[in-house]
Amino acid sequence: MKRMHHGSLCLSALSLMARNASAADSQDALMPFGVQAAHIHDLWQVLLWACMVFGVLIVIAVTVALWRAPRSSETTPAEPTPGLHTLSQYVVTGALVVSIIGLLGLTVASVMTDRALAGLSEERPVNVKITSHNWWWEIMYEDAQPSRTFMTANELHIPAGRPVIATLESDDVIHSFWVPNLHGKRDLIPGRTAKIKFRADSPGSYRGQCAEFCGYQHAHMALLVIAEPAEAYEKWADRQRASANTPAEEQKKHGESLFLSSRCAMCHSIQGTSANGKVAPDLTHVGSRRYIAAGTLLNGPSQLAAWISDPQRYKPGANMPGTTFSSEDLQALVTYLQSLT
Amino acid sequence: MKHRMRALAWACAVALTLCACKREQRAFEQSPSPTELALKSGISLPSSTPTAKPSGSYEETAYAIAQGKQLFNWFNCSGCHSHGGGGIGPPLMDDKWIYGHEPGEIFATIVEGRPNGMPSFRGRLDDSQVWQLVAYVRSMSALVRRDAIAGRDDGIQKGKPEQRRSRAEPQNSSEAPAQ
Amino acid sequence: MPAIAAMSTRNAWLALWAACISISAAAAGGDWPMVAKDYANTRYSELGEISVANAANLKLAFTFSTGVLRGHEAAPLVVDSVMYIVTPYPNYLYALDLSKPGAPPKWKYEPKPLAFAQGMACCDVVNRGVAYANGRIFMNTLDNHTVAVDAKTGKELWRTRLGDVALGESMTMAPLVVKDKVLVGNSGGEFGVRGWLAALDATSGKIVWRAYSTGPDNEALIGQEFRPFYSQDQGKDLGVSSWPPEAWRIGGGAVWGFVSYDEKLNLIYYGTSNPSPWNPEQRPGDNKWTSGIFARNPDTGAARWFYQTSPHDLHDYDGINENVLFDLPTAGGSRPALIHPDRNGYLYVVDRATGEVISALPYAHITTSHGVDIASGRLQYAQDKEPKAGKVIRTICPSSSGGKDWQPSAYSPKTGWLYLSIQNLCQDMEATKANYIAGTPFVGSEQKMYTGPGGNRGEFAAWEPVEGRKKWSIPEKFPVWSGALVTAGDVVFYGTMEGWFKAVDARTGALLWRFKTGSGIVGQPISYLGPDGKQYVAVLSGVGGWAGSVVSAGIDTRDSTAALGFANAMRDLPSETGMGGMLYVFALP
Repeated sequence: MKRMHHGSLCLSALSLMARNASAADSQDALMPFGVQAAHIHDLWQVLLWACMVFGVLIVIAVTVALWRAPRSSETTPAEPTPGLHTLSQYVVTGALVVSIIGLLGLTVASVMTDRALAGLSEERPVNVKITSHNWWWEIMYEDAQPSRTFMTANELHIPAGRPVIATLESDDVIHSFWVPNLHGKRDLIPGRTAKIKFRADSPGSYRGQCAEFCGYQHAHMALLVIAEPAEAYEKWADRQRASANTPAEEQKKHGESLFLSSRCAMCHSIQGTSANGKVAPDLTHVGSRRYIAAGTLLNGPSQLAAWISDPQRYKPGANMPGTTFSSEDLQALVTYLQSLT
Repeated sequence: MKHRMRALAWACAVALTLCACKREQRAFEQSPSPTELALKSGISLPSSTPTAKPSGSYEETAYAIAQGKQLFNWFNCSGCHSHGGGGIGPPLMDDKWIYGHEPGEIFATIVEGRPNGMPSFRGRLDDSQVWQLVAYVRSMSALVRRDAIAGRDDGIQKGKPEQRRSRAEPQNSSEAPAQ
Repeated sequence: MPAIAAMSTRNAWLALWAACISISAAAAGGDWPMVAKDYANTRYSELGEISVANAANLKLAFTFSTGVLRGHEAAPLVVDSVMYIVTPYPNYLYALDLSKPGAPPKWKYEPKPLAFAQGMACCDVVNRGVAYANGRIFMNTLDNHTVAVDAKTGKELWRTRLGDVALGESMTMAPLVVKDKVLVGNSGGEFGVRGWLAALDATSGKIVWRAYSTGPDNEALIGQEFRPFYSQDQGKDLGVSSWPPEAWRIGGGAVWGFVSYDEKLNLIYYGTSNPSPWNPEQRPGDNKWTSGIFARNPDTGAARWFYQTSPHDLHDYDGINENVLFDLPTAGGSRPALIHPDRNGYLYVVDRATGEVISALPYAHITTSHGVDIASGRLQYAQDKEPKAGKVIRTICPSSSGGKDWQPSAYSPKTGWLYLSIQNLCQDMEATKANYIAGTPFVGSEQKMYTGPGGNRGEFAAWEPVEGRKKWSIPEKFPVWSGALVTAGDVVFYGTMEGWFKAVDARTGALLWRFKTGSGIVGQPISYLGPDGKQYVAVLSGVGGWAGSVVSAGIDTRDSTAALGFANAMRDLPSETGMGGMLYVFALP
């Protein structure tokens, strides 16, 4: 009976899987929504056009060469006609010159793009530290006052129009931070600290994902960046700083006690409770997130229940083991977690 | 003659490749184990009872041992036992086993705890996680399939990597720990 | 009714006064009534029979086997011809009758602490001593009980539970009795406990006040009386705001060292331990009130001042080392001060009325900081020695065990010098992600210790606190993990980890006498006047503690990071000493 129940949950969850993500979550390097992505996009356009032009010219030249190639017979000496010799000299020299100028030009364009990327104004930045794990993103919002720092996972909210400076570290293997609408890729290498800075110029939600093969679930390691107007961002940040909602109703209280007494607190933390696990995503405000399991499933009660019961079904190899809660217990736990907004 | 040599070479290559398959198997847990169901329904298990799931496959799989190593650090086993050398808890890399070296005995140690300070992880760990830990603990003194044992660490060097240690034939220690 | 009440109050005060007098009299009369000898923690014996001239003639007077084989870090107590010894787990308490030949045991008290508590002791299952007042002995058990025992009969009078092993708490420190209160603190900075110092009523055992080392002001007993000297320690609820949210609840600051007391200023002084976890990246901020020195009113627990020796402690330097009270000679007379040799390698001289740092000079080899800025009082860290997750930082000196760990120093008012046991160790360190699971270690660091420059892992030295420099120093093969004792005969006693108990000239450091005991010495030597009028020197021998756990806990040193890094530095200790548990008492023939 239980198996069937879970089975049907799985089916419905599958149908809601984030592979059929809504059109609102853009993930497109060709649609820059931030100044850094815009620079890269400009360079890309230059390269595209330049290479297209060169490509066409080369195709024409090759065609001409094939068309006009002198046909030699057995007795004709292999010597080009004098006029053709001069013409080819001009063509070759010309092509060389144009190539060198073109390459230099592209190099200049690349250097200028790099300078533009580095020159992003760092006024009033939002400082975050992103640590990548197999297979989720740990995000800590830094602050000069330590009691104003806060932790979240897999969902990065930023104020539109303000630069974000992200320090990138990895806890296990090499991952890569890639939110194409906002910037290019930056690797997170264990033992090294990298930095990336970007800015979203208009509100919206932008999907990113890990761009360096990192293991079995590399494909299910998405990151959602939500750019909001300044006020909305501050409200969100204040909410995130607060400890988790204390449950008032029986069912949620039961859910909380289940969380704290079973395996969950071994890895997860909920600020304000005795759960302080640091090796899995922070769940203090998990109810407010759009997705769970790093973008693998939408964050809804049936998906959450299915995930908690059997994470290996959606993300085999993930470090979260399955559970054997009864359906009432599972319901209570899910209700509690959904209330953590 | 040349054909025969070539055929032989191919046969060897295929055989060697197939040999490594077992080591690379990964079985991701899909369903609750008998122990879990028993615990949930309030049945108390006698001590040193391994579950129906054979532990052998864990000891032959590089993935299981590597996961065990990761969990060993995550769940603070290394906080007391260090990386086999001991500290607050006894060493795990030597040949002295206070409570037994068999997989089922180590399983019981982890799940039930032990009187002189080993906490009980009953209800805190999934069975498959415990078996992975058991496999890793046994690998610390090279009691498992050698080519599945973890190789070099990425962190600060602690000594010889587990894979390079020589097998330490267990002597079930009857000596009580100091007090 | 009021008359009776007034009389009871008067009697209470008389009893208190009598207690204080008796303790001071006992101290002057040749007893060793508290672990540090006196409230100033001088560990100075006024007995002068044993002198530089005759120390070479010291002979073993008697021994006593404790029956326990772990690290014996305690100081014996001697009051009214009875010696009181407490052992490591299972914390047996013995009373030896010094008036009879061979000092046979009068009684033995067994507190029977939970065996499970052994798993919560980071650094061997030690106990650093008991306290005596008004015919009662007060002791802490490993499983978080403070017990009062009748000094004459050994019967338990009361027992109070103060902590929870399920949270990783334990108790190892020696209590201090101030007026009618027993002051005790917890251990567990490696387990993410929340540190505290508590005062129990000596008669009933009830908790009168408890001052936490982290968290809001009202729980840290910081109120109107609080006047910290430096600006970084001023402000509201710094025990919360200098931590990431809620991190202070599992923030450490345990109180496992010695407490001193100034009767005139009515202030107690003690240090708080490292913040949890060791990995500093997980707890940005200064992490108040860990790794520092508190001055409090013993009656109410209200804090008077605090000075943080290692803000945002990077290397587990703690702050619990002893605070020896002395009067610093100045141009105009003297200034009430204290000496605090910290693990971070600096020997602090601090004004004990205000908390102002007068001087902070290195007594060990230091690479982790450039100095202490006297104007701001702030330790100036070296950036390149800051632990980072996933990176190995090398040549961190002093190692986490510090220039000197808990092992207490002794101060002689005759020479004016401090005698201290020093460690010369450096380490390589890698920070890792610490996962908090209640009752398990919350550290997040791997380290390997090794010998510092010079080739000797230990040193015993004399330090002149006014000039701020070493007067003499004796290199030792192993870290010196024993306490120090200095006498009016200008003889200094200390023990080595191989087991030598040594007497050296207080003014020159010349070796006068030594005796090889059965096991390494990690305890605190004392001296007392026996009933026969002779001066005796006593010490517990039994290797262990953090440095000796290679032997006492059977560590496998093939893992260099075992024993929180000591395994790498103490590989040869097992070939020099084995486990033991014996009291040795010496006297002139």
